[in-house]
Amino acid sequence: MGLQAQPYGIQGMLKEGHKHLSGLDEAVVKNIDACKQLSTITRTSLGPNGMNKMVINHLDKLFVTSDTATIVNELEIQHPAAKILVLAGKAQQEEIGDGANLTVSFAGELLQGAEDLIRMGLHPSEIIIGYTKAINKVVEILEGLVEEGSDTMDVRNKDEVILRMKAAVASKQYGQESILCPLIADACIQVCPKNPVNFNVDNVRVAKLLGGGLHNCTTVRGMVLKGDTVGSIKRIEKAKVVVIAGGVDTTATETKGTVLIHSAEQLENYAKTEEAKVEELIKAVADSGAKVIVSGAAVGEMALHFCERYKLMVLKIASKFELRRFCRTTGAVALLKLGTVNPDDLGHVDSISVEEIGGARVTVVRNEEGGNSVTTVLLRGSTDSILDDLERAVDDGVNTYKALCRDSRIVPGAAATEIELARKLKEFSFTETGLDQYAIAKFAESFEMIPKTLAENAGLNAMEIISSLYADHASGNVKVGIDLEEGACKDVSTLNIWDLYVTKFHALKYAADAVCTVLRVDQIIMSKPAGGPGRREQAAMDED
Amino acid sequence: MASMMQPQIILLKEGTDTSQGKPQLISNINACMAVADVVRTTLGPRGMDKLIHDDKGNTTISNDGATIMKLLDVVHPAAKILVDIAKSQDSEVGDGTTTVVLLAGEFLKEAKPFIEDGVHPQNLIRSYRIASFMVDFLNSYPCSILHMNIYDLGAIEKIKELAVSIEGKSSDEKRSLLAKCAATTLSSKLIGGEKEFFASMVVDAVFAIGNDDRLNMIGIKKVPGGTMRDSFLVNGVAFKKTFSYAGFEQQPKKFLNPKILLLNIELELKSEKENAEIRLSDPLQYQSIVDAEWNIIYDKLDKCVQSGAKIVLSRLAIGDLATQYFADRDIFCAGRVAEDDLHRVAAATGGTVQTSVNNVIDEILGSCEVFEEKQVGGERFNIFSGCPSGQTATIVLRGGADQFIEEAERSLHDAIMIVRRAMKNSTVVAGGGAIDMELSRYLWQHARNIAGKSQLFINSYAKALEVIPRQLCDNAGFDATDVLNKLRQKHALAAGWSFAIYFKNKNKKSFSSEGALYGVDINTGGISDSFANFVWEPAVVKINAINAATEAACLILSVDETVKNPKSESAQGEAAGGMGRGRGGGMRGGRGRGMRRR
Repeated sequence: MGLQAQPYGIQGMLKEGHKHLSGLDEAVVKNIDACKQLSTITRTSLGPNGMNKMVINHLDKLFVTSDTATIVNELEIQHPAAKILVLAGKAQQEEIGDGANLTVSFAGELLQGAEDLIRMGLHPSEIIIGYTKAINKVVEILEGLVEEGSDTMDVRNKDEVILRMKAAVASKQYGQESILCPLIADACIQVCPKNPVNFNVDNVRVAKLLGGGLHNCTTVRGMVLKGDTVGSIKRIEKAKVVVIAGGVDTTATETKGTVLIHSAEQLENYAKTEEAKVEELIKAVADSGAKVIVSGAAVGEMALHFCERYKLMVLKIASKFELRRFCRTTGAVALLKLGTVNPDDLGHVDSISVEEIGGARVTVVRNEEGGNSVTTVLLRGSTDSILDDLERAVDDGVNTYKALCRDSRIVPGAAATEIELARKLKEFSFTETGLDQYAIAKFAESFEMIPKTLAENAGLNAMEIISSLYADHASGNVKVGIDLEEGACKDVSTLNIWDLYVTKFHALKYAADAVCTVLRVDQIIMSKPAGGPGRREQAAMDED
Repeated sequence: MASMMQPQIILLKEGTDTSQGKPQLISNINACMAVADVVRTTLGPRGMDKLIHDDKGNTTISNDGATIMKLLDVVHPAAKILVDIAKSQDSEVGDGTTTVVLLAGEFLKEAKPFIEDGVHPQNLIRSYRIASFMVDFLNSYPCSILHMNIYDLGAIEKIKELAVSIEGKSSDEKRSLLAKCAATTLSSKLIGGEKEFFASMVVDAVFAIGNDDRLNMIGIKKVPGGTMRDSFLVNGVAFKKTFSYAGFEQQPKKFLNPKILLLNIELELKSEKENAEIRLSDPLQYQSIVDAEWNIIYDKLDKCVQSGAKIVLSRLAIGDLATQYFADRDIFCAGRVAEDDLHRVAAATGGTVQTSVNNVIDEILGSCEVFEEKQVGGERFNIFSGCPSGQTATIVLRGGADQFIEEAERSLHDAIMIVRRAMKNSTVVAGGGAIDMELSRYLWQHARNIAGKSQLFINSYAKALEVIPRQLCDNAGFDATDVLNKLRQKHALAAGWSFAIYFKNKNKKSFSSEGALYGVDINTGGISDSFANFVWEPAVVKINAINAATEAACLILSVDETVKNPKSESAQGEAAGGMGRGRGGGMRGGRGRGMRRR
């Protein structure tokens, strides 16, 4: 330290090694740059024609996906400002389960606009005010774009569900949505409770089995468990089920104990009494009318022997979660240990059978009766990465169903809504008098990113598309969007591409919020990374 | 000061490697093509084998695409997808693993120039999917190609009988038909020279296990020595004689219609329970305890004898006391029988495995017609044959070197899978590249009706399909161009046309399509009617191969960016070993910009 000049200002107050950045050029613009970089990565994945990313995470697992939530999750973003965008994307994923890409990419575009405005001379606070006004206006306009009569729908009508789900699934698995959507819709409708608002995403399961192709995918009312049954009985129909959470075995003491034997007689009878005890337990189960024993832990050999003798099917489900779902499927009450079985605790299955699918043996548990249980979507594909990606598409579809159970309103898809928002917002900006009208106009311009990216990703001429979209919208045709198949502009009501209102609403709102947060930062103070993996924390969120 | 403090924008963790855009896509394609090139030469009857020497010093000689891909230890993320599809083909159909890798590689190769010319990959993907659907449609059409072949054969009287039988009429004819499929698979393997011999063996084995076809019910036992011809099929179970104690020699070694008791307990003097302890206050009682232990084992043995069983098998040890006890009473016993062998015996003889000798009822005893202990090469084998439920079969393989038998086992596995699939989906297509040529022709023709860019893409897809006959020729040393041209001409004949018309009219009688059945004749170096020459393969193999290859190709084409995060500590050590190998093995020339450095 000796020779170095005395640090001044804020540097003097901080420990050596801290980095301190402030002001427009150093902090704000840098943050914007980082966010822009992030959104360039996600952007090419937007829309049905979006490209996949190959992400190899730190555990060496390979992801091939266009699902933004997965990409940003596995990317391990370091930059603090970019992390805000990631959080916005995650919030969207958790709230709706879809539209994370829209959030991140749109936020990136808004920040790009903000940078232009800053270079123009606007102060970030003015931009923030403008953006806030804009987003409020957008919400207003968006509500006006809702398709008439879509607010009431029958969530059990497959066609209507597919209509709303298609866009979400197509953005992940384009060209295969016509196969996937009916499957997902079927599965969702089957498990939909009487009050749709209580729809539980967990009730739609996904089983991935290597081999075959998309055409072999099916739904199973019930569950698909990997692995074989324990005993030799492989198929059973219309049976009562008893679920034992503990193991099916002789009970052993937790404390280490030793059996003391005093006479030859005791020694001879020792094994016999144990055997008799197990038989008694299994017989009790068999007498209760149960035909299937489901065990949550190991099944003892002696117990298995008697199960075979009494022609009981034995199934082992090691995962506690699976076991709980199994109980839900069959309506059984899990018992802690073997013993007297109350008839009320028994569950019912229509059939349990071991089937061989694509070289793997799986146990299929079917329960056609009893509406509100578990449905499994059986996915087939030739590689693990395809299966994982299909699973994400199914998850998105199911989440969309959950969202539409709560709010079924829809807006035109295929960028029709975005163009309309851009147009209306621009008109609105002219009525504003302050400097924030520039910000509002930029906000409006940012919407163009969506049709532009959609067109670019599809290999179309973006400029041409946007101008013709504007032309159509100006002539009052507010439902005109991009037809990616033909590369032309068409009325989306003929194409049947609709987005859920809530998805759009939240995505735009989260994006705008994230952008305002990033813009509010004018100082970055980074402490010296401690030993080990470097971690940079963000501090000082000064309110202007 | 300020300029010194300028940080670069660190978006991602240090050490993260990203690459994106067209060069990345091209390098992915290059990597996949490199992998496809490795297995390329193994295709077909004249395909060469690969010798793979792994880091543990094990040597594997194989012709099986899936085995090679597995052993290659590919680390390139895109090329890994090819390994995955090979595995998936292996588990779904069992054979055609080389085909699937080759097709995927070829699809990508055809796509490469388009990508370089600036075509958006999504356009290619869409066209490839359409093409694959069309192929699919062709295959899964209610009157699929098999049926087309059948009706076509209707003209040829003698094969007509055969062709009808696959529908499940006569089991004898069905057998010979399925044997043809198995022979086609086997012809490309090491044991191709004895394909008829093994083909009928495989078909018999599959028939033996019946409809409830569980693959593990077919056991394959390997005994080095002898020749391939010495291999035989046991209609029941066979396993190597287990370790035996003194007294074993006195036991009879052959039974007719014996009862069989299957146990899961130890017939040995041992402590009854680990956690039991004996405390004696009176030394006189000591003898009684010793007696009690003997009583327990004698009691067990007695119960075994009383059950009436003549053969006692146990998963656990059968001690010398028990061995002699059984020998005295003319009972055969074997301890430490491998679990899957025991289960197979249970399935074959209709018995159930017991964990207790108490209360042995007749119901749980198994039986078979003949049991004997036989000398096979240097080993003695216990053989159960003529089993009542007959759900098992065991193939005892003989042959020279270890690697040879290993490869023979893999080949048989493939053949068994093929026959099982052919039984389930009773449609077969003409092999020898005939079906590929026909599909290719169909696509070319179809593409003409499509306006726009996708016409080119579908044409390239069609061209990629031709790789199968081309590679067959290359591997056999024929002039591929010449043979392919002959094939194209044959397939384009008017006869080929009627194939397409057939779908419209469904007019069975007037249908004939000689051209469509022509494939590479591996023996003469020309072309011949594959169907008439019995080069058949189940349609499901082709459907799955084309589906999987298209899916994989689309997946690789749809990637425009790779992000690799630095490995966490735990994953590092594990993966480091694998990487070196992968590099030396399959990745030659596959290292482009997209290839991860470490």
